[in-house]
Amino acid sequence: MKLKYVLSAMAVLVFMMLAGCQGETEKTSGTKSKEGGTATIQFWHSLGGKNGEFMDQLIKRFNDSQDEVKVVGTFQGAYDETSTKLQQSISASTGPDVTMLERSYVQQFAESEVLEDMTPYLKESGLKKGDFTKGLMGHSTFNDKLVSLPLNRSTPILHVNKTILDEKGLKVPTTWDELNEVANALVVKEGDKVTRYGLTMPYDTWYPIAMISQSKGTYFNKDKTSIGFEKNDVGVKVFQYLKDMQKTGALYYPPAQDSGNIVNQMFAAGKVPLMFQSTGVIGDISQNTDFEYVTAFLPKNKIHATPTGGGNVAMLAGSENKEAAWKFIDFMMEDPKGLQQFIVETGYLPFTEKMVNSKEIQDLWAKEPNKKTAYDQLKYAVDNNKSVVWPETMHEFFSAIEAIMYDDEEIEPTLNQFKGEVERILSES
Amino acid sequence: MISTSLQTFQETLSVPPTLIPSSPQWINFVEAMTSGPFATYAKNSIIITLSIIVIQFLVMIPAAYAFAKYEFFGKNVLFALVLIAFMMPGQVTFIPIYLMMADWGLIKTLIPQILPFMSNAFGIFLLRQYFMQIPEEIIEAARLDNASEFKIMWKIMTPMAKPALATIALFSFVSHWNDYFWPLVMTDSNEVRPLTLGIAMLKQSEGISNWHIIMAGNVVLVIPILIVYLLCSKQIVKAFVYSGIK
Repeated sequence: MKLKYVLSAMAVLVFMMLAGCQGETEKTSGTKSKEGGTATIQFWHSLGGKNGEFMDQLIKRFNDSQDEVKVVGTFQGAYDETSTKLQQSISASTGPDVTMLERSYVQQFAESEVLEDMTPYLKESGLKKGDFTKGLMGHSTFNDKLVSLPLNRSTPILHVNKTILDEKGLKVPTTWDELNEVANALVVKEGDKVTRYGLTMPYDTWYPIAMISQSKGTYFNKDKTSIGFEKNDVGVKVFQYLKDMQKTGALYYPPAQDSGNIVNQMFAAGKVPLMFQSTGVIGDISQNTDFEYVTAFLPKNKIHATPTGGGNVAMLAGSENKEAAWKFIDFMMEDPKGLQQFIVETGYLPFTEKMVNSKEIQDLWAKEPNKKTAYDQLKYAVDNNKSVVWPETMHEFFSAIEAIMYDDEEIEPTLNQFKGEVERILSES
Repeated sequence: MISTSLQTFQETLSVPPTLIPSSPQWINFVEAMTSGPFATYAKNSIIITLSIIVIQFLVMIPAAYAFAKYEFFGKNVLFALVLIAFMMPGQVTFIPIYLMMADWGLIKTLIPQILPFMSNAFGIFLLRQYFMQIPEEIIEAARLDNASEFKIMWKIMTPMAKPALATIALFSFVSHWNDYFWPLVMTDSNEVRPLTLGIAMLKQSEGISNWHIIMAGNVVLVIPILIVYLLCSKQIVKAFVYSGIK
């Protein structure tokens, strides 16, 4: 009979809790409107861990700096999850006022006309598009509208364990040929087992796209009807290059799940002296390793080239507090306590001339030259995967990479199949 | 997991991994728990899972009893509907439910995380099978003693089905306590989020993740499950052992 008492006690509890929730509705439903001259705006972002804490501090600095606008920042999962949440919340009109958006998703949202054109706001603040670093504005405009601005931006660079290279008397590679040579020379084997690899990179489309661009190919062709890396077998050569290195142990291609963390750990532990990876990891690596650590441009093939990545910030067209929302964005862009400080703390890329010339960033670069590499490399930035259908084709590209790198499928037929899928997606869009 | 939760950051990076931390870092737990509003997350997790289990019991027991012991018009069709609900994955229904909840203005409350799980099709199914095995004679004897149907259900049937109820409660608890997808989709603010989302937030988007902190968070997340499992385990064994005999 005891069960009955437990059950009835729990039932009472539940109803009390539900009543409690009801109370909460009333309390929070007023947040979107203005209360006593203060506008509260919602800001969604995808930053967890330390970077998330730095973002929280930025928001706090803004909230403390004035009392007209209050920003509530919320972590909404990784980039993909944030974009899914946005799609769903916009259709239910529960979206935020300002959001972080992974740069490659910007076009998709802009096409649905849910992002506000920030041109007039920009003018009001006395900012010009030209104030922003050109290499990072590739995804910011859509049909002449300014739909997003850079936020936490990064590029892939080459991370080098110079201590090991010096031991072997090797130089930091600057071309593909050198990279191949150095990576192979670094391999250490015990019997058949490789105990030290040469080069590694996370399982991502970013790095193959970089290498395709370095070989003068593009992800999409000019007319956006197909892929742009089949001429002169660019794609085949890129993957053949990787495959050859993988076979000798010169390339360690990590498992798909959590590949970024895996390669970072391998690099930090000295198991792989060369790594293609985002600029975002510099801070962590330099703090937690004791070998000589340097960064360099991605090695060039025919030309130097790098894609860009990371998040942009956008204002939602459905926001009821656009002036307040812009106030926050403007603070992030222009105030030295805004993104400039966030960038110093995190290692992401400064994106306005003002930031680059600021004392804080210059001091940082003088102290940690590793953090300057990515900025210098920006002059080779290309964004040849900019398209409304990029996220859709991205999944197909991932499948192709998987088939080649993990399952040893023939390169050419796999890429042809991928090409077919891309053409189908492009023709339907 | 427990080992990693007590390591230093450098130790988590070492290859091959160390099994026993050189000096246990209890501070990791403090850091994990202070990196966000964890008291709120924990409170929400408890409210959500307990409410779900209680409401499910209130709905499930009468439903299973009716399906097991009564004959009524449309019984088979209704039961088929229950089975269909059982097979429906949550990913199919989340958009209509989200839109409905947003329409009702409930997104900033805990209700969207509780209401859709009011009934538990698997539970109804399992409990019905269990009730069906209870001999009709017991119920008839109770009826002869003038017991109301309500009383029969709560005082006779329910206690006899305790092992099944414990099993269902455990399954329900684990799946809702660990749920990441549904709360992520249904909530926009930290005030109404459960622990799973709080712990996901510990992970770095770029850079090296602080595995020691993440694992400390995960240990905290898993402990209640272990406790509930230990509490239920005897009943669960009974459920499987006796179910064939009756």
